[in-house]
Amino acid sequence: MKRLFQKVPRLLLVVLGLAVFGLVRAPVEDDLRERLVAANLLLPPPAQGAFDQMSQSALMGTLGGLRSLVATYLTLNAFEHFSTKSWDELRANYLIITNLEPRDESHWVSVIWHLGINATANMEIDTRLPAFERERRFKEYAFQAIDFAERGIAQLPESSAIRLQVAEVYREKLKDDCATARVYGEIVGLPGAPGYARRFYGYFMARCPGREQEAYDYLTALYREGEPQRLPTLIKEIKNLEGKLAIPSPRRIPDGDPDRRPQKASKKPANALPGGIVVP
Amino acid sequence: MSDTPNAPGESAPRPTPRGAGKAVPIFSFGRVTTIAASTVTQLVRMKTFYFLLAFALVVVAVGNFNIPATPAKELSMIKKVAFGTMDIFAWLFAIVATALLIPKDVEDRTLYTILSKPVRRIEYLLGKLGGVLSVIAISLVAMYAICALMIFSRESLYLSAEYDSMKASAQYTEGEIQEQLSLIRQQGLRAELGIAVLASFFKASVVAAVTIFLSTFASSSLFTIIVSILLFLIGHAHHMASSFWLDESGNSVFVQMLVKVIKILIPNYQLFSFSEGIVQGEAVVSALVWQMGGLTAGYLVVFLLLSLLVFVDKEF
Repeated sequence: MKRLFQKVPRLLLVVLGLAVFGLVRAPVEDDLRERLVAANLLLPPPAQGAFDQMSQSALMGTLGGLRSLVATYLTLNAFEHFSTKSWDELRANYLIITNLEPRDESHWVSVIWHLGINATANMEIDTRLPAFERERRFKEYAFQAIDFAERGIAQLPESSAIRLQVAEVYREKLKDDCATARVYGEIVGLPGAPGYARRFYGYFMARCPGREQEAYDYLTALYREGEPQRLPTLIKEIKNLEGKLAIPSPRRIPDGDPDRRPQKASKKPANALPGGIVVP
Repeated sequence: MSDTPNAPGESAPRPTPRGAGKAVPIFSFGRVTTIAASTVTQLVRMKTFYFLLAFALVVVAVGNFNIPATPAKELSMIKKVAFGTMDIFAWLFAIVATALLIPKDVEDRTLYTILSKPVRRIEYLLGKLGGVLSVIAISLVAMYAICALMIFSRESLYLSAEYDSMKASAQYTEGEIQEQLSLIRQQGLRAELGIAVLASFFKASVVAAVTIFLSTFASSSLFTIIVSILLFLIGHAHHMASSFWLDESGNSVFVQMLVKVIKILIPNYQLFSFSEGIVQGEAVVSALVWQMGGLTAGYLVVFLLLSLLVFVDKEF
């Protein structure tokens, strides 16, 4: 045996050892890989589109296992584009970032915020562009933000943060109360959803034409939950709806309009004496 | 001591050297530990730990980037950069240190002194590998401590600032404020981050085992370093690249064979990148971590045996 061992070229034994080990570990590694990907601990390969858009160094970094670092570098690069208001370059960066780390919620939230809030705000005030072009780009950036939101929600269906950010775009920029209500409605019941989402759902439903009665029932149900929900905006919205829907007085909530300040007590005249006697 | 007196004319017996005549054990953990300890000293003298200073600077710099982002996003960035840097340090150090050790011992003639003593070659290889892994482990723990300190301090700062601003706005109930703070805490310092450090250690261990195997037959350290880095890149990329190759070649038989050969011969390093998911806040599945530990042990055993196969009767 020892002689045979000495006769067989060592290189052959090494290659044979490597091959046997490789054949044994390959199915184990395939199984482990599947389970690590299913547990979201390992990221699936980025989409081919991401590779096409990457620079050579970013590609090497990604292939070399530095995916997180490449994504972080691109995030800082995107911030540079934000500083110079280069919105198209910023979008291109985030297309790669979200492909590299599709399960990082913060990337989706950031790109929606950048395009949906910052880029659109820039279009509102950038006087170097003609008005029609600013309006066109305003809509383009807002819809790009919504497109990112849809892709993000497809990746992270239970994300309330992405929905909160896109709700802000609908609410502040597109002034679309019905879409805002729809998004807040989707947030209600999601894990990690903020408590105020329930109230906001009602507030924007109240402003959506045709849904006033539904909003009134929803908001009064919230009101009946007790003191923590009876915030001034909730009371104000119910008061508005009571007026719009002509709710009879006995069915109205007892609170006063929070916007109406209590009337100040009339000042005593300077010539009043103690006991209410007025000296003419 | 013998009870019988010496016969006249006979010289007194010379005291036998301590331990002489005793059989040398086939394997001794003591000898492995001694070689590992001397390897640690050797690496520390190469000023390895100065890297920690650079690491601390990187973490502090990232922690102070003034970009308009949510507190959770900023914490996430600190973690990603810190753990990414830790990962790079671990595998790069594993390659360079392991590639340098055996040639340096030959150059300093320390290897001849060690192997002329009753030290098995497997003990020598194990000691060297153990020393490199100990330095990597110490460095990773130190880097984690620096990173944890930074994350904790930023997290505390963000939590108090967020609490104050939400309280001041008077729009949120106490429960809602706590919900918002828990979102920041999710990206803060968590016990699971320790497992991410362990993942980097697993990867570095496999890289070190492969490098020690290469260095047993390589003619120079430079060759070992270059080949190890190439293997690392291929081991990382081949899973991602193979689907594209197959796609582009229309599933040609030649490409299929090539992909299979690469898969069998080169370790799949990408599998060991599961720290990325943990750093992003995903829950740790302990069974998977144990299995990855088992796979790492498998790589260490097989590559050490292959190294021994080459090294066992190598003439110096």
